[in-house]
Amino acid sequence: MRCWSCQAEVGGADACPACGKVQPVAPGTTLFDVLGLPRGVDVDKAALERAYRERSLRLHPDRAGKDDPRERRLSLERTALLNEAYRTLRAPEPRAFYLLKLHGLDLVKDEARAVTVPPNVLEEVLELREQLDSARSAGDEDLVSALSDRVRVQSAAALSAAGSALRRLESNPGDAAARDEAAQALVRLRYHHRFLEAAEASDEDNL
Amino acid sequence: MAGGLLQIHDPLKPRGHAVGIDLGTTNSLVAAVIEGKPRAFPVDEGGSLLLPSVVHYAQDGSVIVGARARVLAAAEPTSTIASVKRFMGKGPEDAETKALGAYHFATGGAVVRFQVKGGPPVTPIEVSAEILRTLKRRAEAALTGKVEQAVITVPAYFDDAQRQATRDAGRLAGLEVLRLLNEPTAAALAYGLDKGSQGRFAVYDLGGGTFDISILELVEGVFQVKSTGGDSALGGDDFDRAIAARFLEAHGVAAPDAAQVTELLAAARSAKETLTHQETTELSALGKTFRVSRAEMDSWIAPLLQKTGVACRRALKDSGITREELDGVILVGGSTRVPAVRKFVAQIFGKEPLGDIDPDQVVALGAAVQADLLTNRERQDEVLLLDVIPLSLGLETMGGVAEKLIPRNSAIPTAAAQVFTTFQDGQNALDVHVVQGERELVTDNRSLARFRLSGIPPMPAGMARVEVRFEVNADGILSVSAKELSTGVSQAITVKPTHGLTDEEIERMLLDSIEHAEEDIHVRLLREQQVEADRILHDARKQLATFSDLLPEDERREVEAAIDRVAKLRDSATESQVLADAIKALDDVSRPFVERIMNRAVGTLLEGRQVDEV
Repeated sequence: MRCWSCQAEVGGADACPACGKVQPVAPGTTLFDVLGLPRGVDVDKAALERAYRERSLRLHPDRAGKDDPRERRLSLERTALLNEAYRTLRAPEPRAFYLLKLHGLDLVKDEARAVTVPPNVLEEVLELREQLDSARSAGDEDLVSALSDRVRVQSAAALSAAGSALRRLESNPGDAAARDEAAQALVRLRYHHRFLEAAEASDEDNL
Repeated sequence: MAGGLLQIHDPLKPRGHAVGIDLGTTNSLVAAVIEGKPRAFPVDEGGSLLLPSVVHYAQDGSVIVGARARVLAAAEPTSTIASVKRFMGKGPEDAETKALGAYHFATGGAVVRFQVKGGPPVTPIEVSAEILRTLKRRAEAALTGKVEQAVITVPAYFDDAQRQATRDAGRLAGLEVLRLLNEPTAAALAYGLDKGSQGRFAVYDLGGGTFDISILELVEGVFQVKSTGGDSALGGDDFDRAIAARFLEAHGVAAPDAAQVTELLAAARSAKETLTHQETTELSALGKTFRVSRAEMDSWIAPLLQKTGVACRRALKDSGITREELDGVILVGGSTRVPAVRKFVAQIFGKEPLGDIDPDQVVALGAAVQADLLTNRERQDEVLLLDVIPLSLGLETMGGVAEKLIPRNSAIPTAAAQVFTTFQDGQNALDVHVVQGERELVTDNRSLARFRLSGIPPMPAGMARVEVRFEVNADGILSVSAKELSTGVSQAITVKPTHGLTDEEIERMLLDSIEHAEEDIHVRLLREQQVEADRILHDARKQLATFSDLLPEDERREVEAAIDRVAKLRDSATESQVLADAIKALDDVSRPFVERIMNRAVGTLLEGRQVDEV
């Protein structure tokens, strides 16, 4: 790839090494690439924060592209993407969903329906929601927080299961069983997440 | 396409001065960086820095802004709009809108419109633009130069519609809005956080009508907002209401009228202010008096403070920073002068708040710093500010559930996309409903916009793939676009908020106000010259009759001709300059005559004195 402004070779960099102009995002760029981090289940948090700051200083529209409308547009796109990468990779949960997406399964999209959830998992989730609703209407805050604690433990277990399945998948992208296992765990995780959000809304006043 | 919907401007084009504006619920301020230091400008003849955010519409169509308007509020409550910020971006059917008191609203339309004297109903955007125009003029007077660019602050908790409305008001006032800056972020900037400093700060901002809390971190020149929260309908005005309610209760007044409410609220506010430095006070209103102690007031406002505490704890939790890790707590807003508020903040965060900068000024000063950072090339490599969106953005999905696309506290600018599909064979349109808020059900969240993506080619159910893309710019303002992926049919739609004005409406208002501004200035200049003509005609005729002996015949003819000409043009001139020229001609020809009159008068005076002194 060559710089759109000075024609120097940019080699996939976010800004031209010769003239410093912000470059378009190359096809196939992952959010890990955006932050310059090695792709994987685990991320060095300090390195992520540092990379985010360093890139913001270079690419943010308040800094870059002041003189050139084209560069300003690119800077805006780059920054939006950088912020998306930061938001997605900072916490382990969205990071796990994103990794699975890189393996072709986007649970945020309709493809979630393709994942069959074992009936016992669904049953448990529904039961927990019912208990939460009755605890909330009875004003039993102790029960609400006991239920939340239980779900938090399950959620941590699901995340760790997703993590190990994703690690296998990362080292062997053809491993269909690992992909399925990761998907199952993340669908469970999403149920837990929704439960905790609902529980939080109910005990907001007691924070 | 990604950047196509976002507005592009060139902030570095030299265009006069760039100012920072705090457009507050109760008071507004304007400031600019001068010789490296932010400074707020006087907004009236008395030198006050605070312009009361009150706009009065008079019978003759003139508009009065500020302290003079506030005085008129008691006598003309429905034509004097106060706390207009609370109405920004609201629809006429909002429950909150109706609860906000004495105004008469015009019916119909998507936007709140106040019925006022002297003209057609006005929207909150137009009312705010009057305040901004006044601030712009004051800044121009202080800087002796044009002001065309501004950073305007908004509560961090303002939603998309409220932000759009604020931006539109800026445009209407003839300002290029460089950035909408969150108020707590502005406050943190004002605290002189230069490149070398590091730290984590909480900003507790309790203004007249809004409450904001933000947690920020400054590391290596990047000022990052970690989380934000608050309540766009909670502020010091509620303290006044709490006091007023007790007054009404104590005196058994069940249904006060609009004028009484205005009078009582003014008395309650001054009682609140007195109680910041006194233990007790007495307020009198409606011909009655009422004693209040500080302890009593504290107990009445305690539930309101508790509400702010919930938001503070949630913001801390969202930021991932503990209160022990905080390096400082910054207070913003006049309401943080109330001792109970300071005590509460100290207790919530476990440390005494900082107070070196006047909480009334701190937001405007910070906005001025940001305006300078954005326009002054020499400051380009200083602090970079990374702000966040306060509320999650999402779409309505099956069963009325809100699907979040961009979670709250996401750094801006940002973008996100989601793919939807059709659920019927041959379905050629898809309804998209954009919502903002944290709740699971769409009905519990704020509806921002609805639109229909039509022109989807006929396909079996589930085959069409429609990607809906959200883009949030650095002002926190959202654009939405949609395209059908499988065929490449793409349709970009810029969404205007449900309770906003269309671009056409803004454009029309803008043109109207410019036309009126020219018309107004024209009429005013002519009126001034007519007054001047009346004065000079009166004097000249009187002198002609009294001192005819001092005027030779040839001079008399000249003076009389000049008088006739002014008298004729007094009523027929349409250009002020024509009349001004005639006045000057009269002035010139009668000068020798007037000098003789003066000489005689001085002579008489001296003679008189000599007589007296002898």
